[in-house]
Amino acid sequence: MDAFHSLMAGFGVALQPAHLMWAFVGSLLGTAIGVLPGIGPALTIALLLPVTVKVAPTAAFIMFAGVLYGAMYGGSTTSILLNTPGESGSMMTALEGNKMARAGRGAAALATAAIGSFVAGTLATLGLTFLAPAIAELAFVFGPADYFALMLLAFTSVSVVLGTSRVRGFIALFLGLAMGVVGIDGPSGQARLAFGSPDLLDGIDITVVLVSLFAIGEILYVASRYRSAPPAVNPLSGGHWMTREDWRRSWKPWLRGTLLGFPIGALPAGGSEVPTFLSYTLERRLSRHRDEFGHGAIEGVAGPEAANNSAAAGILVPLLTLGLPTSATAAVLLAAFQSYGLQPGPFLFVNSADLVWGLIASLYVGNLMLLILNLPLVGLWVRLLLIPRPYLYAGILVFAMVGIWGVGTSWMDLLLMFVIGLAGYVMRVYDFPIAPVLIGLILGPSAETQLRRALSIGEGNPMVLLSSPLSIALIVLALAVLFLPGLLRKLRANA
Amino acid sequence: MSAIPQRRRPWWLGLAVIAIGAVWLQQGYGLPAASGYGGVGPGDFVMLVGAALIVLGLALLAQIARGDSFDPQEAESAEAGARPSRRALLFAAAGAAIPLLTMRPLGFPLTAMLSFALVTHAFGSRRVLLDCIIGLALGAICWLGFTRLGVTLGGALPLAGW
Repeated sequence: MDAFHSLMAGFGVALQPAHLMWAFVGSLLGTAIGVLPGIGPALTIALLLPVTVKVAPTAAFIMFAGVLYGAMYGGSTTSILLNTPGESGSMMTALEGNKMARAGRGAAALATAAIGSFVAGTLATLGLTFLAPAIAELAFVFGPADYFALMLLAFTSVSVVLGTSRVRGFIALFLGLAMGVVGIDGPSGQARLAFGSPDLLDGIDITVVLVSLFAIGEILYVASRYRSAPPAVNPLSGGHWMTREDWRRSWKPWLRGTLLGFPIGALPAGGSEVPTFLSYTLERRLSRHRDEFGHGAIEGVAGPEAANNSAAAGILVPLLTLGLPTSATAAVLLAAFQSYGLQPGPFLFVNSADLVWGLIASLYVGNLMLLILNLPLVGLWVRLLLIPRPYLYAGILVFAMVGIWGVGTSWMDLLLMFVIGLAGYVMRVYDFPIAPVLIGLILGPSAETQLRRALSIGEGNPMVLLSSPLSIALIVLALAVLFLPGLLRKLRANA
Repeated sequence: MSAIPQRRRPWWLGLAVIAIGAVWLQQGYGLPAASGYGGVGPGDFVMLVGAALIVLGLALLAQIARGDSFDPQEAESAEAGARPSRRALLFAAAGAAIPLLTMRPLGFPLTAMLSFALVTHAFGSRRVLLDCIIGLALGAICWLGFTRLGVTLGGALPLAGW
């Protein structure tokens, strides 16, 4: 019951009025950016990073957690009412939810999404509460070789899973790794790839890369292919709330979605696309109203929404216990930890118990707040969509400049913003995934450190990387992630 | 998704990846050799990354030669299949590039105004004066607010010594 006591102490932290205020601000902000196009949770947290110089770490992370969860709620609102999923996790919601909205059942779809998100978020946070300390215990035995193998697994899985092509996924990853080596090399004190610029000696800041890729790349891309017709919002009025029948059809998909989302989100491959897709397929197969799928089946909203939210909580498991980010949002959260001089991993649970448990407790609180914010106030959130697009995107650029210029008022950062922003545009046009760049950038330096440490222990013998059963298992898994999809395809083609 | 098939083959993409890899390989090669017990010097990981990028660039070239298609990603308020407007792209890119020229002499609020106006123009707004006013107001509010929050955004108008 150790976790239980820690959690109670965490509630003591999270329920302080100041922290409740930060959770509220985060939830509000998160919902808003979830509704607005062009900004996601990763970008928002990156833009908030410079502000954190004046905010204590616990308060900042409570706010970030609100942004993370709030974006999920906001994202489902737009996919249901507008058929424009703000992030890949709500793609499946848009499928059935938008059909429901068109049939005048928008209110019921929004309700099942919000309540499902609440149920899933709460249950998954419960999972996080009891699973994370156990994994953190396990992680104490990890040696450098094991960590290196774990990162290899993360590298291969993000490159393979988060994109349409393995080659393009790996190019994105290695571009991130390439940017990660810029700056002074710790062990030797050598400047690497600084090209004589003193600004580059500190390395390339992840905020600069993330903001440029997500904000600048997106602005350029949308500007060049702008559809000036205003989006058609499905009216909410006249809709019925969830009926008794809706409840009966929703509660099982909520639970099944949660069960799918949390473990998959917690894997190093992570992500929310796979669990939401699986949940949708599962509900379609199990439903007694299979004919309604494709025309607005409520199960098709309830399941994927729950899966999406519980995957978001799952992502926090490897992040907090192993320091391993598996999505763009997790990568920027890791950067936030680093900017406070904290290293997520087993020691975080020992050294910063207040912060970790306050953060976990605030996830429960934030979920409740979001349910209250979202159910009655949906009409208000939708109004955000009335902001004219030219002002919205120009405003995003101004905030991006705050984020980048605020890192260190460096001209080099502005140059990087422009160049990496253009790269972000090219990556969108030619369909390169973006998250692997960030994972490579933030994990690359620690992967290199662990590799060099492991090789030092083994006195240069590369076999040291396969010296423990754990590292062998992880490397085998990494290779499996790399080659299994192709093998399966071949087998299927032969059959 | 569908729309105009991309006839042209983007060879330059593969070449660009190879070029980046070559720079990293060459720079890594120039770093001092191995030191310490591990036999891994500061340049080895750099060279590994460079070599991997070259291999991946070649693989990309092979895909392009095979005629693989590249479907643009979906985004809100954008039509992935639409023919891109070069003019709008140039204006938006100018909005992202203008801080390089103006941020140090003119400061944050005026730079924000110029960027704001350029991007709104790229998105089809033609009310230049109104856009400039909104941009300046937004820039000034951001500068004041974030400076108070402890984020350093430089002087308000460095040319005038503010």
